[in-house]
Amino acid sequence: MFLHNLKYEFLTAVRTKDLLIWMILFPIILGGFFKFAFDGIYEKTTQFSTLKTAVVDEADDKNFRSVAESLSAQEKPLLDIVYTDRDNAKKLLNDGDVKGIIYTGKELSLSVAENGIDQTTLKFFVDKYNLRSRVISRAAQSDPQSIEKVAAALSEETDSVREIPLTEGNTDNAIQYFYNLLAMVAMFGSMTGLHISNVNQANLSALGARKNCSPTPKGTGICAALIATYIIEILCMLLSVTYLRFVLGVDFGDKLPLVYLSAALSGTVGVSMGFFIGSICCLSENAKTSISITGSLLLCFLSGLMISDMKQVMARKLPWFNKINPAAVISDSFYCLNMYSDYRRFTEKIVTMFILSVVFALLGFIMTRRKKYASL
Amino acid sequence: MENTVVKIENLVKRYGDLIALDHLDLEIKKGEILGLLGPNGSGKTTTINCLLSLLSFNKGRIEIFGREMSPTAYDIKKNIGIIMQNVAVFDELTVYENIDYFCGLYINDKAKRKGYVEDAIRFTGLEDFVKFYPKKLSGGLLRRLNIACGIAHKPELIILDEPTVAVDPQSRNKILEGIQQLNRDGATIIYTSHYMEEVEQICTRIAIMDKGRKIAEGTKEELKRMIKNTETLTIEIIGLTDADRAAVAGLPHVYDTAYDGSKLTVYCSGGKHNLIRILGLLQEKEISFGRVYTELPTLNDVFLEITGKALRDKEE
Repeated sequence: MFLHNLKYEFLTAVRTKDLLIWMILFPIILGGFFKFAFDGIYEKTTQFSTLKTAVVDEADDKNFRSVAESLSAQEKPLLDIVYTDRDNAKKLLNDGDVKGIIYTGKELSLSVAENGIDQTTLKFFVDKYNLRSRVISRAAQSDPQSIEKVAAALSEETDSVREIPLTEGNTDNAIQYFYNLLAMVAMFGSMTGLHISNVNQANLSALGARKNCSPTPKGTGICAALIATYIIEILCMLLSVTYLRFVLGVDFGDKLPLVYLSAALSGTVGVSMGFFIGSICCLSENAKTSISITGSLLLCFLSGLMISDMKQVMARKLPWFNKINPAAVISDSFYCLNMYSDYRRFTEKIVTMFILSVVFALLGFIMTRRKKYASL
Repeated sequence: MENTVVKIENLVKRYGDLIALDHLDLEIKKGEILGLLGPNGSGKTTTINCLLSLLSFNKGRIEIFGREMSPTAYDIKKNIGIIMQNVAVFDELTVYENIDYFCGLYINDKAKRKGYVEDAIRFTGLEDFVKFYPKKLSGGLLRRLNIACGIAHKPELIILDEPTVAVDPQSRNKILEGIQQLNRDGATIIYTSHYMEEVEQICTRIAIMDKGRKIAEGTKEELKRMIKNTETLTIEIIGLTDADRAAVAGLPHVYDTAYDGSKLTVYCSGGKHNLIRILGLLQEKEISFGRVYTELPTLNDVFLEITGKALRDKEE
């Protein structure tokens, strides 16, 4: 009897058009839109770029010119130098045409208009040059052939400052939008959970009434419906991750199997939450649907899925809330997986998701176990 | 006693201050088609829902097949088929799948179930639509699918709650014929409706309900015998005088008359040859008349006489 129920619950869920729209088309369309909108933003803003720099060479520093010439001649030159006078250099800096002004003299000095990674790179270059100028000038004088090697070493050290990784994962800020998309898809799964409750309760639908008249225990029917819906939801979530990763090329880092695990579990959280909402007595089907939709959106909002600063606001005002907010937990699980090399935080999120799934489902069961209704 | 399939004793159901069922007693014998007749809101569906243990009730006792009915009385539920007022099928499943699904809630054996499902399809005439989804079916076919889902497991007791609402006359006749066939095949049937013609046509016994109470019960002949009116005669007459009308009213077995200027309506209670007597009087007084109609009392007359109001709302 259970397998019979499972078979038809599965068929029903697969053929439900709403499910197809929200669980498959929604992530495909919105994922494609995100890719189109955010693709390359990160690369454009953080990729290696030659630093346009003004040099005021009042000291006529030949050693610096030699080094600068070598740096500019590389395949990916570190500096694009413009030799000019003091006034013009300041104008170029103020206009934003150069990142900084290097002044020659006994030692190099640097003037910048703002702080940033490019300015830090220039500062590092100038400091290194000053420290090693003696070495470089000596090498230039004694062995001109070695200048290139010295210059390359200096460039390499400069690059290493820029590229020290804080994480092994994808640091592209746009990746957060895809985490949020997956969390939102999982939260929309609550609608399918709500449907389970509706079609199994006599006071909510004619189907529920007919099922309740049959000799199949209510728990068997609900159990079969939940399992079938979990399977469908998990498949939809896995499909979403596969589409984002392999069709749109979203980089989820090198722990893809765990991304799949997290996505699968997040699907069960959404379904269980919907089932729980649907099981709340004394509310009509429409009221429950409204609660499910607005509740999902509110949880997404509070977890920062719509406004990124909201996460910080919640962390300050209600630090505990997002630790149990399903939308935040789902999104954070992907984030932790990508950002942290150890699995402690990720495991924490996975365990939280599992507990949320079980608690929501159990509460739903307890509330729907009632056998008779005061009114239909 | 072993012939009693359903026994309802002193059933009371309240919704706040409203009494939906007021000390209802009802007994249904094996092989009967019991019609629960009453206007909307009279308590028919509430009775069914209490009977099926879907609704809680304040007082009373319900026994089906000699055992007390409860939500977990699965051995009783196994032998009950229910056809709801609202069509209760899955839009995502085909006709065959829907019938198989609901039959599977009662019958575990796959091979046996297959035969039952095919029987139900044949019985409801849905052979050409087995692969159709419910949304592609007409209203009548949808109702037949609803019935097939309720009877596929061959239950001993079948409860039909207004199964012909919003159904065209042709489909309605098929449904009614089907119900009679199920009864001939051995099923006991409870049929609720506010269509008196249907109830008169198929039910072997009728319980009339109003305001949660059973106000009359019996065969249709028994019910009609309960009321004063046995015959209503309508005669087209122009220019009938009050004296002539009084003469008609004075005839034996005539208990009331009405005249609207063109039609004289005569209400008779008992007696034979009422029409001959009235027409004889009119000829004797040389009163010319047109067409003559005679009507036997309907269940509506029964309801009207007992409650003082029509059974069916005017807009229906």
